[in-house]
Amino acid sequence: MSRLNSARELEHLREHLREKRKDITTTVMVCGGTGCQASRSRVLINAVKEELTRLGLEERVRLCATGCHGFCEQGPVVVIEPSNVFYCHVSPDDAFEIVYQTIMNGKLIDRLLYVDPTSGKKVRTQSEIPFYRAQDRQILSQNLMIDPCSIEDYIVAGGYSALVKVLNGVTPEQIIKEIKAAGLRGRGGGGFPTGRKWSECWEAPGDEKYVICNADEGDPGAYMDRCVLEGNPHLILEGMMIGAKAVGARKGYIYVRNEYPLAVEHSRIAIEQARELGLLGDNILGSSFSFDMDIARGGGAFVCGESTALMASVEGKVGEPRPKDVHTVVDGLYHKPTTLNNVETWANVPAIILKGSSWFASKGSQGSKGTKILALTGRIKNTGLVEVAMGMPINQVVFDIGGGGVNGKQIKAVQIGGPSGGCLPVEKFDLPVDFDVLAEAGSMVGSGGMVVMDEESCMVDVAKYFLTFLQDESCGKCLPCRVGVGRMLEIIGEITEGRGRLEQLDLLEELAETVSQTSLCGLGKTAPNPVLTTLRYFRPEYEAHIKEKKCPAGVCKALITYQIVPDRCNGCGVCLRACIHKAITGKKQKSHVINARLCQKCGICRSECKFDAIQVV
Amino acid sequence: MPPKTLDQIMEGRRSQPNQLIEVLQDIQKTYGYISKEDMQSVSQELGVPVIEVYRVASFYKAFRLKPSGKHVLTLCMGTACYVRSARLLLDQATGQLGVKPREVTPGGLFSIEHVNCLGACALGPIVEENGTYHHHMTPGKLRTLIETLRRQKLEDKENVQA
Amino acid sequence: MQQYVNVSIDGAIIHAVKGTSVLDTAIEYGICIPHLCHVPHLSDIGACRLCIVEHLVDGRSNVTTSCTLNVQEGMMILTSTDKIRKFRRNLAELLVAQAPNSRAIQDIAVRCGVKEVRYPFRNEDCVLCGRCVRVCAEVWKANAKGFVGRGKERHVDYPFGIRPDFCKQCGSCIQLCPMTITPCDGPMKPGEERLCGNCESQLMLADQTPGSCIWCKLGESFACGRYA
Repeated sequence: MSRLNSARELEHLREHLREKRKDITTTVMVCGGTGCQASRSRVLINAVKEELTRLGLEERVRLCATGCHGFCEQGPVVVIEPSNVFYCHVSPDDAFEIVYQTIMNGKLIDRLLYVDPTSGKKVRTQSEIPFYRAQDRQILSQNLMIDPCSIEDYIVAGGYSALVKVLNGVTPEQIIKEIKAAGLRGRGGGGFPTGRKWSECWEAPGDEKYVICNADEGDPGAYMDRCVLEGNPHLILEGMMIGAKAVGARKGYIYVRNEYPLAVEHSRIAIEQARELGLLGDNILGSSFSFDMDIARGGGAFVCGESTALMASVEGKVGEPRPKDVHTVVDGLYHKPTTLNNVETWANVPAIILKGSSWFASKGSQGSKGTKILALTGRIKNTGLVEVAMGMPINQVVFDIGGGGVNGKQIKAVQIGGPSGGCLPVEKFDLPVDFDVLAEAGSMVGSGGMVVMDEESCMVDVAKYFLTFLQDESCGKCLPCRVGVGRMLEIIGEITEGRGRLEQLDLLEELAETVSQTSLCGLGKTAPNPVLTTLRYFRPEYEAHIKEKKCPAGVCKALITYQIVPDRCNGCGVCLRACIHKAITGKKQKSHVINARLCQKCGICRSECKFDAIQVV
Repeated sequence: MPPKTLDQIMEGRRSQPNQLIEVLQDIQKTYGYISKEDMQSVSQELGVPVIEVYRVASFYKAFRLKPSGKHVLTLCMGTACYVRSARLLLDQATGQLGVKPREVTPGGLFSIEHVNCLGACALGPIVEENGTYHHHMTPGKLRTLIETLRRQKLEDKENVQA
Repeated sequence: MQQYVNVSIDGAIIHAVKGTSVLDTAIEYGICIPHLCHVPHLSDIGACRLCIVEHLVDGRSNVTTSCTLNVQEGMMILTSTDKIRKFRRNLAELLVAQAPNSRAIQDIAVRCGVKEVRYPFRNEDCVLCGRCVRVCAEVWKANAKGFVGRGKERHVDYPFGIRPDFCKQCGSCIQLCPMTITPCDGPMKPGEERLCGNCESQLMLADQTPGSCIWCKLGESFACGRYA
């Protein structure tokens, strides 16, 4: 494709591409996101392609390997347009049947249809599935129609129209005013008003400015940024171009984790394609606006999600945060004014410009506008990416969309916002997903990871897990975060081992306050949140560990023992073979015994036993 | 294909200190680890003090300063995987292979890594092995996976001998 | 030409040189802000956090380190509020529990009002203040050592753990190291570390006039800017 020299040429290209596709009667969309690739969707895509070629259907049927659809639990997922048929758990062997039966003869394949777990009925289309029904998929729905490696798909779907709009005589002030009016707040953590950030950066003195996209999604349990960047990289590019125009930047970076190879590859391809069409480079679409971008790969450090650490990392340095007495919008990358937003924030920009701020502001709650993608994971029936209007109560997300707990277990808590967020108990599930309300409850929307926990999770152990994580991920520069978090972990470790004292809970709270108030960066300032929220909402669990030396959930190794219930054990020998410490003995067909002296309490035997014969006491 | 030699990796990046992490990423990808000699050359070519190169290489988890095993089992320890008992997998892997995370088995066949999130949380617990994601893992499945990889090695040997 | 700004530190209006830090200004004017990682004429990294102050902006109070905060016209700083003193005491307690075998750190703990240590003592030989690293890089341009690793693995080391040829053994790093001064009674035995408290009398003085410099002997040991 040749370089486009004006907005009109882009429109011509769009019309030309649409014209070329007018003979296509059916589109098969196979999810090629990382989740579904783990379920062998690559093989499936090739198999469908072969079948289409073999039956001579390539002209009429378009096969589209899309980004993540969100319902990863059911992967690989296939959607067939225009009838909107939704197939799940599709295997490569099903390719022939899908092409022959459904595409050629319009028949449904019963066994590939989704079964509604509440009603037990089979469901034909996506919109009938409870998981999708309550969602408002503004960003995620675009993933469905687009092959992330094809700029043509993006243009056909109306892409780069927002860019055309801002290049057409719109001033930076007008863009910023629109973003401010929309009430867009940062989707990466703190929820800082995006418009204010942009206007401060625009006002900052200096000719050289930068925009950065933070795709260093380090929050364990959140993967919406991966999904959007992987599934629709041009959307991010377009958002960043608009941002660059607004703040006056000529150069941008996408900072992406190296653990996301597909996201790195897709954004690299997207940048090359955009350059080829002249959507990046000098005088974009014949305007006076010039902008180019590059990818910077992160090296696996959670702290690099912090703005100053991220910028140090882009500069090729150690990702240590520095004091932010002067904000990064004034003194950022290479000490130049820099606007940093995360993937989801950038993804919201083009739609705001195209559809207007009032459209965006009509969704959401008082202080939190628009939609938010949540990663619903953990001990819950329907896991995956969920996009809802902000302000939806947690109840609705967990029970209506998520379908409730697995194996009939009681849901106990939800951890929102990753290691910087907090655990909210089931009694607080009437709270809405709202930046300010959740912050008041001690948690935060953060990047939007929602990990559901049930009665099998020990909340003290969860606090310990997060502290261990943060101790590992702290850069170690400042004393409260490095030593303070370590000391908190030491205290919690004693509690989980049954050596805790009640007065340590007060010390824990005092230390938590000191760490959160005096740490250098956001990581340290929020590090005590998991401890503070579990202490606030699950104090009885802490007290059980201390007073009764018991772990109510049966997790903390020092406080439990494993036993085989003789009546239930039929001597199948699975546990005996599974035990890596050789702690289980017994003859075939006879009830087995655990040798308490050798048992390391890993619990592998219990997870392997099919007869539920191993108990925690 | 990643470039083969250090020279090719350095191409177009010399005297650009901001390329340090990118260069180290490529060295890591090509050789599986970053040697002391490579760090010294990188320091000279980019014009970055050698201590800075060493600091960066020791700071980011993506970089290994020692060779890893032929099969690297990457266990995801993200929150979502953790609440679905990913800890059992760590116990299984370390127990079965007899090495701790970031160590290599004698003979260099396996090493274990644990990372904080692979970003496939809905399918947890996840184990990644040479680019393949194994989802919904259990200790039993992991044991079979390790045994299969071990057998492959034996079969390879027999093929060579035959 | 030197420019001046007016800042208010603990209610005193100070005519401060533009571009200097709040910490330097305060010390210059006899207001005591305890500190460890700050060394005059070296860059400030804000690692020890002891020099925290309250910075009032639009009625909101931000807790921030004074070494990294530059003076600005009309700035309002409080160096010794109850909140700040509590945090500072907690920080000093964490610090002295890590390294009881340094007189400098013992003195800082006393100066910050630590009366008991609620954590088990660890006898570490480095508190990662980074004085050595900065003097080596900034004054001698040698870059012979740096912070290696991250989180709890972070430590000061030579490249690959071996002293490089370009280290001229000038000894500046040792001179600035707060760990080189042992407590008055000599090094404590492992397992018998404690808060030494020998300088109690100095503390009594400091307690009566919190925040103001009493030209204490403590300051000398932790290389307070007034002694430099």
